Amino acid sequence: MSESITRNVVVTDPAGVHIRSALAIVQTVQRGKSKVTIAKGEQRVEATDIWQIMGLVAQAGERLTVTATGPDAAAVLDALEPLFAGRFGDEAKKPE
Amino acid sequence: MRFADFICRDAIIAKLNAVDKEGAIREMVQALCKAGKVEKEEYESIVKAILKREELGSTGIGRGVAVPHTKHPSVDRLVGSVAVSPQGVDFASLDGEVVHLFFLLISPPDRPGDHLRALENISRQLRDDTFCKFLKQAKSVEDIQTLLNEADTNQFGP
Repeated sequence: MSESITRNVVVTDPAGVHIRSALAIVQTVQRGKSKVTIAKGEQRVEATDIWQIMGLVAQAGERLTVTATGPDAAAVLDALEPLFAGRFGDEAKKPE
Repeated sequence: MRFADFICRDAIIAKLNAVDKEGAIREMVQALCKAGKVEKEEYESIVKAILKREELGSTGIGRGVAVPHTKHPSVDRLVGSVAVSPQGVDFASLDGEVVHLFFLLISPPDRPGDHLRALENISRQLRDDTFCKFLKQAKSVEDIQTLLNEADTNQFGP
């Protein structure tokens, strides 16, 4: 069954959404089965395009709206959320 | 942010000699040293910091473009340069392609916003196929400067 879920996330990584987080977002979305978009205000981008994500200039403290549509929408959003806080995979316990 | 706000014109390299990742980074940081944008004593420290960042994941973001970068306390404003490699450098890029265009960025640790705005500018301009192609074909520093100026004055894109 396919569902669409939208979550508001606040960027808490002091560096904002930079290349490394953008890349992690792309890879996380590609591992899942859902289509994901990220919006900052009126600007909405595809979460599989690192170039578009960098175009958001998402800085620390800014609010983004992440929408996932597909069979694993909730799981993909769960996996994405730590990335906006600068927590990546095995480094999750020791942020920069 | 425009290219003119962070690209040091005197450090542009039209024909990168390096054939590997470390060589490319060294050549570009050396050019910034020669241009007086970074202190010579900081050269090794900056190169090591950029290489350490690359270990976390390549900054080769596809389309033949890489953005090696680091924060470094020795700079008080965002410093960047551009290099073109006609032969291409294996940079372990996202899409597996060799890199022909390098945008190297060194930013003060307390200015993450400037780094993000530079990335936005680079990604927005290089998404334009014409600009990307012309830059890869540039043969001289003057060609590159002209293209960057044209991008800054919105002569590419929709």
